[in-house]
Amino acid sequence: MRYWNSVWKMGGILLLAYVIVRGFGTPLQPGLVEANPSRLKPGLADLELKAVGQPFAEENAPIEGHQLILKSDQDLIATNLTRISPHSVQASVVIPDLLPSPALDAFLFTPSSGTLFLGNAFFVEGAGTGPVPQAFAATPPAEVDPNLGFSFPYQPNIIESIRNLLWHVPMWFAMFFVMGIGFVASLMQLRTDKADWDHRSEAAVRTGLVFGILGLITGSLWARWTWGAWWVSDPQLNGALVTVLLYTGYLLLRAAMGEDERVGRITAVYNVFAFVMLVILLMVLPRYTESLHPGKDGNPGFNSYDLDNSLRAVFYPAVIGWGALCYWMYTLRLRMNRLEYRLLNE
Amino acid sequence: MYSGFQSTLQTAKTIASLEWRLEWRQGHQIASVGMFALSSVYVAFQAARNDVSADAWSAMLWMVYLFSGFTAVGRLFDRERSSARRYLQWTVDPLGLMLGKLAHAIFTTTGLSAVVLCGFLLFLGWPTGETAKMGIVVFAAWLGGLSMTTTLVFVTAVASQVKAGGSALGAILGLPLLIPQLILATRLTVGALQGTPWSLVAEIPLFLTTLCAGTSIMACILFPYIWRA
Repeated sequence: MRYWNSVWKMGGILLLAYVIVRGFGTPLQPGLVEANPSRLKPGLADLELKAVGQPFAEENAPIEGHQLILKSDQDLIATNLTRISPHSVQASVVIPDLLPSPALDAFLFTPSSGTLFLGNAFFVEGAGTGPVPQAFAATPPAEVDPNLGFSFPYQPNIIESIRNLLWHVPMWFAMFFVMGIGFVASLMQLRTDKADWDHRSEAAVRTGLVFGILGLITGSLWARWTWGAWWVSDPQLNGALVTVLLYTGYLLLRAAMGEDERVGRITAVYNVFAFVMLVILLMVLPRYTESLHPGKDGNPGFNSYDLDNSLRAVFYPAVIGWGALCYWMYTLRLRMNRLEYRLLNE
Repeated sequence: MYSGFQSTLQTAKTIASLEWRLEWRQGHQIASVGMFALSSVYVAFQAARNDVSADAWSAMLWMVYLFSGFTAVGRLFDRERSSARRYLQWTVDPLGLMLGKLAHAIFTTTGLSAVVLCGFLLFLGWPTGETAKMGIVVFAAWLGGLSMTTTLVFVTAVASQVKAGGSALGAILGLPLLIPQLILATRLTVGALQGTPWSLVAEIPLFLTTLCAGTSIMACILFPYIWRA
C-alpha cells in the first residue's frame, strides 16, 4: 500500500490521543473508601461512609431503595439510613452486645450503582462473642444490575491510579517489543556481519531504554500511591532496574569501543546476552517468587488486573498506540544511524 | 588425535591447567587476591566491632566477596591482550578456551569462598551462634560466589575486547548483572544464619543454579563470536 507508512503512524497517534482522552476522561465507578468513626462500642451509634468515583446517588435522592448493612463474620446487622448525598451516606445503628467477630464489613445497596463494599469498615470494642440476636438481623435486598455507563472499575488502594495501567504496562510492552527487534538484529549481525544489522540493534536498544526508563518512572509513581514507597525491594522491580542498567551498559560498551571496527560484533554479543538476561529476570524468576507486583503469582495473565470491558477498550488501543510510537522512534533512530554511517564512509 | 567435542574438552583441560600453573608460578597474583580478601574482612571486622546481626554479617560477607571476585576474575582475560598470546590463541578452539576459563574460575571461586568465609569466622565468628545452619552457610557462600563468577567471566571476556580501560568497564558492566545473584545469595545466607528450615529457602539455590547455568551456557555460545572478531 502506497501510504502505509503514514497510515500506521497516524493510526498510532490517533490511538494515543483516544487513550489520553478516554483514560483521563472516563469516570471511576463508585467505591467506599472511608468509615467514620472507625471504632464503635455496643449501643446506638451514628455512622458516616464516604465514597469516591462517580456519584452513586443524585443530590437529595430519596432514601428508599438504598440500604446499608453491616456484616460480622456471616451475620448481618440492619442500619437505619438518615441521609444520602452523592459521595456519602449517614446512618444510625444499634450495635448488639454479641458479635461473631469484632470487625464489621459494610455493604451499601443502591438502586443505580449496585452494591458498594468496604471490608473491615468498623471495629467494635467491648462486645461479647456470639451470634447476632435475631432482633438486629437484616435481610439484604435483591441484587440489581447497575447501569454505570462507560466507567473504570473501582479497586481498593488503586482507586483513581488505575488509569496508570494505560501508561505503565504498555510502556514495558513497547520496551519488550523493541528490545526483541534489537535481539533479532544482533543475532543477524552475528550471522552475516553486515553493518546495517548493527544500526538496527543500536536504534532498538536506545529506543527501548527510553521506554524502560519511562516504565520505571510510571511504576515508581504507582508504587508511591498504592504501596506507600517510591521503591520497594521486589523481584519484579529488581529485575526491571537490572534490565535498564544492563542496556545502559550496552551504550557504555559502545561508547568505550569508539571507532573500533569490531564494535558491531562485540556489542551484538553483549546484546544477545542482555536480552536473555532480560527474559530470565523479568519473565522467569519473578513468576516463581512472591511479589507485590500484580500479574506475577504464577499467573501472568490479564485476569489478575481485573480488566473489565471498559478498561480493555482503552488498554488494547494503548498497547498498540505506544507500540506504534515506539516503533516510529526506532525507525527515526535507524535512519539517523544509516545516514551517519553513509556520511562517515563516503 | 581427538575429534569434535573430545578435542574441545582436551583444550579446556589444557587451558585450565595452564592457567592454574601460570597463577601458581606468578604467585603474586593469587597472593594479591588473598591479601585483598583478607584485608577487606579485617576492615569489616573493624567497622562492625561487636554485636553483628545476621543481616550485617551477610551484607559484609557479600560486599567483601563482590569486590574480591572482581579482582580475581577481572583479570582472567588480561593475558589474552598481548599480541603474542593472541597469535597463539588464534589456533585454539574458542569453546574449549571458554570452558577452560570457566573451570579455572570455578577453582578460583572455591578457593576465594573458603578464604573469605574462614576470615569471617576467624574475626567475626557466627553472628547467631548455635542457631546457624553452618552447612547451608558454607553452601550459600560457594554457590552464590559461583553464580557471580560465571557471570563475571563472560562480562570480563566482553570488556577485554575494549582497547582502553577494559578492566574498569568490566566492573561497570558486571555490577548490575550481579544484583540478582547478590539478592538471592544474601537471602540464603541470612536464612541459614537465622536457622530457617531448608524447605523454606530451598528455592533460592535453584534460582542461583539457574542463573549460573544460564550465564555459563550463554558465555559458551557467544564467546566464539567475540574470539573471531
